[in-house]
Amino acid sequence: MDVLTLTAEALREPWRLWTGHLVHFGWEHALANAVALAVPWILVAPRDRRRLALGTLILPPLLSVLLLPSLGGGEYRGASGLACALWALVGLRLAVRNESALGLMMLAGLLVKLAAETVVGGGVLLRAGGWSTLPAAHLWGSGLGLAAALPVQACIRHFHPRRT
Amino acid sequence: MSRRPFIAAALALMAFLGCNTPETHVRRSSLMDYLYPKQKAAPMPDPAGARLKLPLKLGVAFVPGGSASWRVQNLMAPGQEKQLLDVVKRSFQDRPWISEIKLIPSAYLRAGGGFENMDQVARMYGVDVMALVSVDQVQNTDPRWYSFTYLSIVGAYVLPGDANDTNTLIDAAVYDVASHTFLLRAPGQSQVKGSSTWAYREKQLREHSAKGLELAMTDLAKNLDAEVGAFKAEVARGERKDVDVVDRQGVSLRQSGGRNFGGSTSWIEVLGALALLGFALRLRRA
Repeated sequence: MDVLTLTAEALREPWRLWTGHLVHFGWEHALANAVALAVPWILVAPRDRRRLALGTLILPPLLSVLLLPSLGGGEYRGASGLACALWALVGLRLAVRNESALGLMMLAGLLVKLAAETVVGGGVLLRAGGWSTLPAAHLWGSGLGLAAALPVQACIRHFHPRRT
Repeated sequence: MSRRPFIAAALALMAFLGCNTPETHVRRSSLMDYLYPKQKAAPMPDPAGARLKLPLKLGVAFVPGGSASWRVQNLMAPGQEKQLLDVVKRSFQDRPWISEIKLIPSAYLRAGGGFENMDQVARMYGVDVMALVSVDQVQNTDPRWYSFTYLSIVGAYVLPGDANDTNTLIDAAVYDVASHTFLLRAPGQSQVKGSSTWAYREKQLREHSAKGLELAMTDLAKNLDAEVGAFKAEVARGERKDVDVVDRQGVSLRQSGGRNFGGSTSWIEVLGALALLGFALRLRRA
């Protein structure tokens, strides 16, 4: 078994909590996830970049810990759970700031993805390399991303109250 | 009293009965006769079991029937064997777990050749697993009540007094060549019914034989796909102790429990994300 993938061994080998999101099942898998990861980095407001970088560092192990019960004896590879987290984080921050409809569009896109996976059963379909999508990764990732955006928003409101 | 009318009536009755006796044609090739000929002791499979490394090279062949190959027995028209095997090939050519499908002419398989013959053919074609297809086809012809009109000669060419039905059962058994381990089997069946005149009975039976085989092969391809899915699930659950499947990354399906998960983004989602990105960048410029 690959030493970088996320497995139950991550409790003894903690680097797996991060590296599981870096390794993939093939270049197509990696490329698609890389594009998904790049979009929030491009769209994020300049003052949120530091927050996004912190989220990129902190959210992977949290997501990994949440995914461990779903894995059983299996393994997990892929960055799309993290991508969902970053989409939720950036989308919510843009939406609350109400600068444009972009944030709402990002959140809507994310919602469509999660709904489609729930309806179609993305976890049931076996991919070419003999692996299947883990919809829980996207669901937990989105939840973590939203949670990471909310306190930031509350702080902004606390320190910069809107003028009436 | 003259005997002639009685003799004529008896001959007519015999001719009538001769015309209308139900007939049955059986065409059969047996996997058991090919792999386990009675005069030889059946070889034991490798106790270590089969270790299948994906993607597989699959060979497909009809097993010989009786003392000659299936094709040589004149049971298939020339070229039909390849056409039938192509049905299976088309169904599996886009499957990621198969890299190549080789259609092996039945002429290369000896009647009663056993695993020795299978190994030779597999080496020749460089395949990892062999799908051996056996056929059991029964054709029945039953006379209808008005088939006595055949006696008029004209009726034999005009009235369809024969009810013909063709039942075909095809069975594909898949073996691992290296270990001689039986992996899975799948059936395919078809039934073709029709009516014909006495004169065109043989022609229709030949046509129905070909059509029955084609339909059964299509059914087989569908069932084989489902059986492969069930087989992989069995291996993943550890129910097949004699088989292990190793994926492209070298991960054993048995060890991973068949649960390799990935966080994935589909290409449709990627296109959506890029469209959103394009929209956003345009918005910023404006």
